[in-house]
Amino acid sequence: MTEELLRLDGVRKYFGLRGVPWQAAQAVRAVDGVSFVVRKGETVGLVGESGSGKSTLARVATRLLDPTAGRVEIGGKDVTRVRGRRLRPVRRRVQMVFQDPQASLNPRQSVGTILSTPFRAQGTRPTRTQLVELLHQVGLSEEHLERYPHEFSGGQRQRIGIARALAVSPDLLICDEPVSALDVSVQAQVLNLLADLRDELGLSYVVVAHDLAVVRQVAGRVAVMYLGTIVEEGPSDQVYNAPAHPYTKALLSAVPVPEPGAVRERIVLTGDVPTPIAPPSGCPFRTRCYRAEDVCATERPVLQPVAGQTEHLAACYFPEPPTSERT
Amino acid sequence: MAEPILEVHDLRVTFATEGGPVPAVDGIDFAVAPGETLAIVGESGSGKSVSSAAVMGLLPSNAEVRGEVLLDGRELVGLEADELRKIRGNDIALVFQDALSALNPYYSVGWQVAEAYRLHHDVSKKVAFRRAVEMLDKVGIPDAARRAKSYPHEFSGGMRQRVVIAMALVNNPRVLIADEPTTALDVTVQAQIMQLLADVQEEFGTALVLISHDLGVVAEVADDVLVMYAGRAAERGTVRDLFFRAAHPYSLGLLGAMPRIDVPPTRRLTTIPGSPPSPGSISAGCPFQPRCAYTERVGERCVTERPELTPRPGEGDHEAACHLGRRPEVVA
Repeated sequence: MTEELLRLDGVRKYFGLRGVPWQAAQAVRAVDGVSFVVRKGETVGLVGESGSGKSTLARVATRLLDPTAGRVEIGGKDVTRVRGRRLRPVRRRVQMVFQDPQASLNPRQSVGTILSTPFRAQGTRPTRTQLVELLHQVGLSEEHLERYPHEFSGGQRQRIGIARALAVSPDLLICDEPVSALDVSVQAQVLNLLADLRDELGLSYVVVAHDLAVVRQVAGRVAVMYLGTIVEEGPSDQVYNAPAHPYTKALLSAVPVPEPGAVRERIVLTGDVPTPIAPPSGCPFRTRCYRAEDVCATERPVLQPVAGQTEHLAACYFPEPPTSERT
Repeated sequence: MAEPILEVHDLRVTFATEGGPVPAVDGIDFAVAPGETLAIVGESGSGKSVSSAAVMGLLPSNAEVRGEVLLDGRELVGLEADELRKIRGNDIALVFQDALSALNPYYSVGWQVAEAYRLHHDVSKKVAFRRAVEMLDKVGIPDAARRAKSYPHEFSGGMRQRVVIAMALVNNPRVLIADEPTTALDVTVQAQIMQLLADVQEEFGTALVLISHDLGVVAEVADDVLVMYAGRAAERGTVRDLFFRAAHPYSLGLLGAMPRIDVPPTRRLTTIPGSPPSPGSISAGCPFQPRCAYTERVGERCVTERPELTPRPGEGDHEAACHLGRRPEVVA
């Protein structure tokens, strides 16, 4: 079995809401018990709608946020309680690419300064050759080193964000909505760049995205989140072709397909996602589920293998049968 | 196609800026008939939102609008402000992309929908509020009578977008312009909103102009499509023309660049090199020429001569603005 780069065990992240005198303090359960492994060479997609907790999970995994409960292991080492200076070796292995390159690059710093910051954070000084090499890796050139973020287009800025993440030669890149701020034609360039870097540098990725088509394009394995929990996980082909969890099925059916006249069965979900302050008892999806029965309100279903599969897991009392048995 | 309700001819919008005039829309034509849907597709800066604002007469004073906008045969360009006000929101209405900024946080949603009704109908506040509740109910707000008294911040994103749609529909407009109505929403909510727009269209025969960058949404709802690039029309035709017989290298590039969920992934997406030009920096030739894979085969003409929309032989109303005489293949 290949090396584990990241392991999350029963991770919870609650954000406190301050109580008022006549009311107890409440918590937003952004991530509510997630276990998750990323191995070397893998690209794992983390999909879910807004409020599903996917970005919070990414930030806990990079140790930008402290988990409320659970364990975070990076490269086989427990780093849950590691803080401050001792996080440096962790940062060398795991880096993050942010959604909005406009907001994540300091407008007053030149690209050269931006790219040398990770080196300085590690206590080293980069040579000019190293910085130019980084720019080449992401398809930019030496002349860009002295320029400032506003002189670049959105796609180029995202390339700079990726170059910055690559500066410390990490094993794992966690990309939070890496292309959602970009136009379609530019989005494809960045997705191809990520694929090229994977092949050249042997990188692994966690790609957090709300766009299911983007995740299908890049990820070999995919985890679907709903209200702070993973409801389905497995190889992309299996999850996309034969979703087992009713939520995944509804989510996939809602994505419009660019083919006029294509006939598809659409499951239109009613209502909205419940509040993560008081999630429903039992299965978090049961309030909107078309298959829900009484048992769904009792205990939260655990992720378990879908019939006949080993790596395809779903947390549901009534999972969809495998495709071969469907009519 | 039935008799169009909205016709736009040679629409041009130029913004006066400190750096000189900037052309944002450079001569586009489109038409939409009752009950039909026209999609305007393009990337940021292509002029699609400016075109819709120009049709609605909503551009700031530094914008110069030329051309014809005919609503049921009546010219809207150059109309006096108070004449336009009678039409806007009544015969033609706009659904904005960002529902939160389109609503006033200070007033209840029912009040805001009622206000839109009272602007065009001489009725009491009470009657208008009743009409607002009826509309909110129609767009699928549960328990509308009670929820009408709630404020925008008490609604989710999808519910807010329903309120904005209720506001646009309260006067039963004949033309609805929806500018990226689902871009800020999750896919499951997007499906609900697109279904709602389709239901409304069927019930009232509203003509819909849908502005979108999402080709999936366009494929599902549009009858006709206009592809815009750098303020100009690159291609125009039926939805099938665009998706099955794309005639402009840009349209083809857009289709190839889009990842899809219904087919297994290829290792690489086809890409269009570079990024869209900023308005004002467009040369004399074809605006797409610097990014086009076919320009070498055509030669100098792409640089010197601006291509006009020309009909594709034997393909009805399908037109493309490209010097390449034949259909482009897959963009390399």
